[in-house]
Amino acid sequence: MAGRSARRWVAAVPQQVRHLGAIFALLVAGLVGARQVLVPKTFGERGHYRAAAVDSIVAQEIGYAGHAACETCHPDIADKKGQSYHRGVACEVCHGPQAAHVLAPMDHKPPAPRERAYCPLCHGYNPSRPTGFPQIDPVLHNPVRPCISCHDPHDPTPPHPPESCAACHGEIARTKAISYHAELPCTQCHAVDRRHSVSPRQQRPSKPTTREFCGRCHAQDADSPPEIPRVDLASHGPGYVCWQCHYPHHPEAR
Amino acid sequence: MRPMQGYVYPNEFELHWGLLIVVYPYLTGLVAGAFILASLARVFNVREVQPVYRLSLLTALAFLIAAPLPLLAHLGRPERAFEIFLTPNLRSAMAMFGFVYAWYLMVVLLLEIWFDYRKDLVIWSRGSTGVLSLVRRILTLGATDLSEGALRFDAGAGKLITIVGIPSAFLLHGYVGFIFGSVKANPWWSSVLMPVVFLFSAIVSGIALMLLIFMISSLVRFKRVDMACMDKLAAFLMYALVVDFSLEMLDFTQRLYEAEESIRILSQMLSSRLVLSLIVLQVLVGTVLPLMSLALVAPTVRKQGLVKVPDELRRLIYFVVAVLIQIGIFSTRWNVVIGGQLFSKSLRGLTVYKIELLGIEGMLTAGAIVVLPLVILLVLVKLLPPWPDAEAGATAGIGLGLAVSPARR
Ligand code: HEC
Ligand code: HEC
Ligand code: HEC
Ligand code: HEC
Ligand code: HEC
Ligand code: HEC
Ligand code: HEC
Ligand code: HEC
Repeated sequence: MAGRSARRWVAAVPQQVRHLGAIFALLVAGLVGARQVLVPKTFGERGHYRAAAVDSIVAQEIGYAGHAACETCHPDIADKKGQSYHRGVACEVCHGPQAAHVLAPMDHKPPAPRERAYCPLCHGYNPSRPTGFPQIDPVLHNPVRPCISCHDPHDPTPPHPPESCAACHGEIARTKAISYHAELPCTQCHAVDRRHSVSPRQQRPSKPTTREFCGRCHAQDADSPPEIPRVDLASHGPGYVCWQCHYPHHPEAR
Repeated sequence: MRPMQGYVYPNEFELHWGLLIVVYPYLTGLVAGAFILASLARVFNVREVQPVYRLSLLTALAFLIAAPLPLLAHLGRPERAFEIFLTPNLRSAMAMFGFVYAWYLMVVLLLEIWFDYRKDLVIWSRGSTGVLSLVRRILTLGATDLSEGALRFDAGAGKLITIVGIPSAFLLHGYVGFIFGSVKANPWWSSVLMPVVFLFSAIVSGIALMLLIFMISSLVRFKRVDMACMDKLAAFLMYALVVDFSLEMLDFTQRLYEAEESIRILSQMLSSRLVLSLIVLQVLVGTVLPLMSLALVAPTVRKQGLVKVPDELRRLIYFVVAVLIQIGIFSTRWNVVIGGQLFSKSLRGLTVYKIELLGIEGMLTAGAIVVLPLVILLVLVKLLPPWPDAEAGATAGIGLGLAVSPARR
């Protein structure tokens, strides 16, 4: 009785709807089945993620020991670095994850990034780095030599550029020291930019170019101390610049 | 152009959403537009555009099939994309979009096409053998009932689905706008008008696309281009364009008047990075020029355009206008997606987008994805000819079908 009325009811539904309904039912069943198989068991227990993921993360091996761990055995380096520009850069940033080294220092030797390509990862010029962050152009900044040949990685303060000219112009300084111009500083006759001592060939100092330059002290009417010997610029060795006869660094230049 | 200006955060230096994400809203826009055109024809029974009804449906389907591809190609792990269906996340607009897409594809487009073509499928596949008719037979899903009641049911169901379909199409493309519009940290995107603007630009692009496809398909089939249909399409195009342009201007004026703190960087971006794509391509070439041409030649307020133009010339103008509009709408998508990432969230700097040629997110992939729907459309048209003269009713087959089916029952 019930079966027949149900069959009649089904027959009253248009054929299209029956067939479409079957397809949709299949699709929905497929989705439900796929969910059964594919959705991880613990999904949604605590949020929109697989709750067991937390356990599998906890189970991962720990690679990093943390900054404090290094200090106990390497206090000298930790102190040095703590005072330096690199105080904010943790040891394991450069030396890699070292939990294994902390447990067995002699068996696991940490690597050190000695090659030149490493430091520009942080210090290479990049317009999106904050203004004021020390940046260099790795191509132009003292090329070829490894960075650590000039900068101690644990205290990278830039090496002081030599202050005295003698560091590089030793011979001139030594001869000048016994010349009649010993009292005059080099900068009396050469205008030197600060950067000359960092990149000397790019920043050349000036050199005297005229007879009048020497005349500022040696001309008859020069406004200079009276003990300085005078000559008459107009008649004394005319046609030549003074240093063709008196090289001013040299003692014998008479 | 200088690569970067001012201050840009390190993670903004490179754009994360590139060309593919530009292509994506462009494609879904075409889907929604083509579908809304078809619905207009059906629900409001606009006689002139009947010839493009089926063609629009197939176009919408072809573009909808290709629409998710740019997103998949952009994902690092595309093979995991299906997981958003398995574990629906109700709190993520992007994740729920998968369901909007599935609803639109399965419940709206496929059903509407199926109901519309069922009769023809049955008749076409009847008696003949071969792969084509085998596929068609499978597509009938075994529902071969061609009785008058069944056909009436087809028509009724089709109409119902169309009515459900219009809000669905609005949803589909409004949703894309919603996703951008709800990014509140981004002043270029964050706007409640975004979904509406997206929707109307979608309608504009869809109608323009149908105009192009209709014209080209007529020419390829050596048929006369139906000018009544073309004129009506052009008129619709013009109305949609007016609304679209007004909305965009409204958005623009509002931003200008509000003059929030972002206004300086945005105007800087407009006057440097987006001059070509926004001012020239989107506004001048893609909107103002088509608007003026259509206002002159398309029959909108009067039976005839303001200027009387011979059919051939009018057709040519429509063609050029439709192409310009496609360029304009693509630029619109570009300006939204790329423009929204060119300025820093610090509001103090601009970066640039460097487009790739090769690579999964490059120009070639994007080009292939844009061309793919046309290939799909070609296949669909072979399988389900949308031309009025191919309909089974136009041949003797209908008489046969109707005569046979009651006898078989
Ligand atoms: C338990 C004590 C201990 C701790 C903790 C420790 N080290 Fe060491 N470390 C040593 C010893 C011992 C050596 C070996 C010295 C030697 O070979 O002369 C060493 C050597 C090194 C070397 C040089 C390796 C080489 O090839 O010469 C580096 C780099 C280093 N440690 C880094 C670290 C860092 C980074 C940490 C913190 C994560 C750390 N150490 C923590 C004891 C320790
Ligand atoms: C900026 C990167 C950097 C950081 C940060 C750094 N190191 Fe080093 N470290 C190096 C480099 C490069 C060398 C190799 C130096 C060499 O070969 O002259 C080195 C060498 C060493 C050595 C072996 C040579 C030596 O000087 O005794 C030890 C030990 C060491 N580091 C420990 C540490 C510890 C402990 C810390 C944290 C307190 C640390 N390093 C932080 C880059 C770094
Ligand atoms: C993880 C990133 C990082 C790496 C790698 C790194 N540094 Fe640094 N460096 C810094 C930071 C941070 C400062 C401090 C900047 C500040 O004070 O504003 C700094 C400061 C410096 C300074 C001081 C500049 C100045 O005058 O203000 C020098 C020089 C330097 N680093 C050289 C190096 C060298 C050489 C290496 C390679 C062994 C290196 N750095 C590797 C992050 C790094
Ligand atoms: C020949 C020695 C030498 C080498 C090699 C060298 N530097 Fe320097 N570096 C200097 C001197 C000297 C200064 C300071 C001069 C200056 O202020 O320009 C300096 C300054 C710096 C500064 C600070 C710049 C600033 O604006 O405050 C950084 C950062 C730096 N160096 C990083 C590096 C890095 C990274 C390398 C490896 C790629 C490197 N240096 C290689 C000598 C060197
Ligand atoms: C870091 C080493 C260094 C220091 C320090 C230095 N110079 Fe030089 N200087 C050079 C080099 C290298 C040259 C170039 C020699 C060459 O090109 O033949 C040079 C060239 C010169 C020249 C000749 C320029 C020319 O055009 O021919 C003068 C003058 C000079 N230096 C003066 C000075 C004075 C004065 C000081 C001290 C304030 C000084 N330099 C400090 C390395 C240095
Ligand atoms: C009284 C002025 C005077 C003083 C002081 C002086 N110079 Fe000179 N220097 C000259 C003149 C003049 C020349 C030659 C210019 C020329 O040849 O065009 C010269 C040339 C040079 C040159 C390039 C030629 C060469 O000989 O290599 C160097 C380097 C130089 N001076 C370094 C120094 C240094 C270092 C000092 C300090 C220790 C110094 N000078 C002090 C006047 C002076
Ligand atoms: C700032 C002033 C000053 C300038 C400039 C100067 N000199 Fe002198 N010069 C002196 C002084 C001081 C003496 C040493 C006088 C003494 O012996 O007491 C001297 C001594 C001399 C003498 C040795 C004189 C003697 O007693 O035999 C000669 C030669 C000379 N200068 C040449 C030059 C030449 C060439 C120049 C130009 C390149 C020059 N001077 C620029 C101050 C200057
Ligand atoms: C042609 C070579 C020549 C030239 C050029 C020359 N001198 Fe002399 N100068 C000499 C000779 C030679 C003497 C030593 C003869 C003398 O005692 O009269 C001398 C002597 C001097 C004396 C020492 C005078 C004294 O009273 O002890 C000074 C100072 C001097 N020159 C400065 C200059 C100056 C400044 C210039 C450039 C304007 C210059 N000379 C150019 C050849 C030259």
